[in-house]
Amino acid sequence: MQDKNKLTGTPISRIDGIAKVTGKATYSTDFPVKNLAYAVLFKSTIAAGTIRTIDTTAAEKAPGVLAVITHTNAPKLNVNGGIRGGALLQSPEIEFYGQHIGLVVAETFEQARHATHLINVTYDKKEPKADFEKLAKDATLPKDKEKADAKRGDVKAALRDAEFKVEEVYETPIEHHHPLEPHATIAEWNGDRVTLYNSSQIVNGAQSAAANTLNIKPEQVRIITPYIGGGFGSKGGQWANLVLTAVAAKQVNRPVKLALTRQQMVNSVGLRQRNHQKVSLAATKDGKLTALAHEITTHGAIKEEFVEPCGDCSKVMYAVPNSLITYRAVPMNVILPTYTRGPGKSTGSFALESAMDELAYALKMDPIELRIKNEPERDPSNGKPWSSRKAVDCLQVGAKAFGWEKRKAEPRQNQQGNYLVGYGVASGTYPAHQRPTSAIVRLKRTANDVMATVELAAADLGTGTYTILTQTAADALGLPLRNVKVVIGDSDLPPAAGSVGSVGASSYANAVNDACQKITDELLTRSGKQFFARPTASQLMMSEKLTDFQTRIDAKPLESAEDYSAHSFNANFAEVAVNRFTGMVRVNRFLAVTGAGTILNPKTARSQIIGGNIWGIGMALTEESVLDPRWGNFVTRSFADYHVPANLDIGNMEAIFIREDDQKANTLGVKGIGEVGIVGVAAAVANAIFNATGKRVRELPITPDKLL
Amino acid sequence: MRPFTYSRANDPASATKELAGNPNARFLAGGTNLIDLMKEDVERPSAIVDISGLRLTEIKPIAAGSAKGGLSIGGLGKNTDAANHPLIRQNYPLLTQAILAGASGQIRNMATNGGNLLQRTRCPYFYEVAMPCNKREPGSGCGALEGVNRLHAIFGASEKCVAVYPSDMAIALAALDAVVKVKNAGGQERSIPFADFHRLPGDTPERDTNLAHGELITAIDLPPNKFAGKSYYLKVRDRASYAFALISVAAGLEMDRSDGSGTKIVQARIAMGGVAHKPWRALKAEQFLAGKEATVENFKRAADAEMVDAKPLEHNKFKVELGSRSIVLALQMAMNGGKA
Repeated sequence: MQDKNKLTGTPISRIDGIAKVTGKATYSTDFPVKNLAYAVLFKSTIAAGTIRTIDTTAAEKAPGVLAVITHTNAPKLNVNGGIRGGALLQSPEIEFYGQHIGLVVAETFEQARHATHLINVTYDKKEPKADFEKLAKDATLPKDKEKADAKRGDVKAALRDAEFKVEEVYETPIEHHHPLEPHATIAEWNGDRVTLYNSSQIVNGAQSAAANTLNIKPEQVRIITPYIGGGFGSKGGQWANLVLTAVAAKQVNRPVKLALTRQQMVNSVGLRQRNHQKVSLAATKDGKLTALAHEITTHGAIKEEFVEPCGDCSKVMYAVPNSLITYRAVPMNVILPTYTRGPGKSTGSFALESAMDELAYALKMDPIELRIKNEPERDPSNGKPWSSRKAVDCLQVGAKAFGWEKRKAEPRQNQQGNYLVGYGVASGTYPAHQRPTSAIVRLKRTANDVMATVELAAADLGTGTYTILTQTAADALGLPLRNVKVVIGDSDLPPAAGSVGSVGASSYANAVNDACQKITDELLTRSGKQFFARPTASQLMMSEKLTDFQTRIDAKPLESAEDYSAHSFNANFAEVAVNRFTGMVRVNRFLAVTGAGTILNPKTARSQIIGGNIWGIGMALTEESVLDPRWGNFVTRSFADYHVPANLDIGNMEAIFIREDDQKANTLGVKGIGEVGIVGVAAAVANAIFNATGKRVRELPITPDKLL
Repeated sequence: MRPFTYSRANDPASATKELAGNPNARFLAGGTNLIDLMKEDVERPSAIVDISGLRLTEIKPIAAGSAKGGLSIGGLGKNTDAANHPLIRQNYPLLTQAILAGASGQIRNMATNGGNLLQRTRCPYFYEVAMPCNKREPGSGCGALEGVNRLHAIFGASEKCVAVYPSDMAIALAALDAVVKVKNAGGQERSIPFADFHRLPGDTPERDTNLAHGELITAIDLPPNKFAGKSYYLKVRDRASYAFALISVAAGLEMDRSDGSGTKIVQARIAMGGVAHKPWRALKAEQFLAGKEATVENFKRAADAEMVDAKPLEHNKFKVELGSRSIVLALQMAMNGGKA
């Protein structure tokens, strides 16, 4: 697909880059809405129980205060309308620490914040369920049918008869998304219609959740979200803050702005659940897997369940005749867990790919060789053929590029000064799907200049949606980049999939391409002429002397795509140096090799992959949200306590894309890279640490104390 | 944040006077800690006296007195300027290393030398007002004592408070035997030896230092030393930058030959961060090393002599072993002139 004459496949800089670095890009709270009032949330200081009294008298009298909204005076909302995590001020019940219990609206932000300090709340407290270690034994089968026990063959017998086996438990902590831009909304009512400027990864999802919860029709809600400062899943579903801003604006009868603080982010917009994963592998002495069991224990919120699919990689990575994947979950007094980058796959692959490394070591086999030996010809979970699978290519290309042959098979053999150096590898995968998406293309001609506008309710998380759609449309219409304008992030535009689950690029780009092909077809029909070579829409606009022309498409995935199993695959390589006195780990080098079909823009794609890699390094080494089980509060409430990697933690990052034409997955062969970049990363780092030190750490993050 | 009055002081006398008249007033210098704490509702001053315009920023040699030949650093100078001053880089590289190990470039550009000494603990129970904390609210209890205390003290803590003091710069200043010069509203000046500046929590964890209300830090004096070429600041932390220390060690070795080339230690200076409510001078380790050969074996015995008294909590037991290793590594690095 990467044709020399095409704009797709070329590493152009992002279209919206200048607007962003000059501050002209309007994020949710940047819109110049007049007559704004400001809302500040206040939150519960218990994790379980009931509000007995809530005294807002002093707050209401404080300077500038326009309204104080609590469960005692909030309008009735539909709690099943699609807002995640509750906290809609509909009852005095408290289900987690830091649940919203009200908001103050005032003339200024400072006045609103000050008034929140003047509110007195008394509670009837209950003992919170916040100690996962103690609760785990009570975990039960989740309601979600996708999480039913998946059995194939006889795992028990295979483990019993195994020549080699690994049976270990891997622990991952609660993590938070913490996008740079905290969740933020401006709500402005105009009659019975409300405009919500709100960071949303799924524009139409935010629209329907807001409408359903507010008990109004979707067409009464307009979501505007042209730029998003990161989301990582936390802006996929929508949370109470969106709807409460609309409620506040209605109450004070003027536009209201509500932005969460960093401290409020830990209990407002979901989290990645704590996972306890037991992986059992059995193999013959020549390294053929005979059994794979992946048993997951986790938690949900008190009333709602969400279980990230940690067993997904184990379902598809390896050819194994006997397999078992199980999930058990227990309710906890925490905010509802939710989709978090590489949901299930990033955490699940830490367990699976660590276990594979342990097995390779037990077999005295190179871990790359072990993986290649167990490469499946078809998707083992459903028997479907792969649309295309580049897992082995990723390993082989990566091994060569990384200098894998320099790795010592035995740990502690590579000492450089105060440091022990090690290499690690791990594979990863993420499914590739296209979702229905509509788009409009408008062409406008002035003299010999044709301008195209492409419109769809897509979202750009900051990853390059504007850029790749501009490239796609320019190619499909025969126009230079500067003659294409992409308009997205508005629910008044044709409905589109979300920027979630790695479906954004394939859904949007295929829809835009289909729309451009359709407009070309329509122009051809209109011209009534026969052409030797298919002319571009741009040429037809000129030859037909048209000034305006437009079309709309409702693009759908290929029906034949159902016959295949479509996934992106990667291989991750890490070189770490561990200080042998202090246990501090440095990732000297990291390489991700990815087979993700057509890469529409290698520059934005590289940024996205290394972004995922860096989060994976954070997952491996630094990130953890720590709960105090006595009160159910997070003690890691800021970036001083919740450690994402800093520049100095990150060494040389390299990304290689494997050439892959996968038209079985979708027309453009675009498979998505948003999620796969984090999958397998933590395991690669942990495996490198084992190779360096001989210490196998099965509990993330691998902080210095675990390596003493 | 609660309403407060703001005024800008034009000279030290009016600044100290204004503060002295109001027990709930605070100086504002770089603001890198105070403003954060006000946003969190931990600090609730009724008045802010901005001293950032006072010209107490000079770094100059000390010409007379017991610290003659040393260096005086202005209390309102910026951390970045102190770290990069040629005389500090040359004569007190330990201080340069410690300052640069702390916070981030942006914060160091704002933070002042005096303000750095007055940083409050980063204990999460201190920071969240709904939590019990005797330091923030005497009598409310200590959330960390039986809570999440991985980052907390192993030396000198009390039942009332197990918090640690967060500064890196101050750990080096402790090893350097710095002296804090202060001035009060009456115009009186006094000198506080560094070891007496910060306090252990005891029954009054709400008091971090022995500075009286209204006293202004005008300068920090560094006496001359004989270990500039053999010193090292080691900081062990959960990530490579912008994290507080799990353990830090400021180490200096004065050797028996004046050019530093000897093998016998005349005097060692060792101060630790991340272990106590104040910079912890490892006096037992120092005592052990006086007059000893500078060998790894002796470094280990010195570390053991210090760490034997550590009293870890549930989640920070690792700090005993890590502290011991860190003392040894810092001394080795100091001996090698800071090179691995």
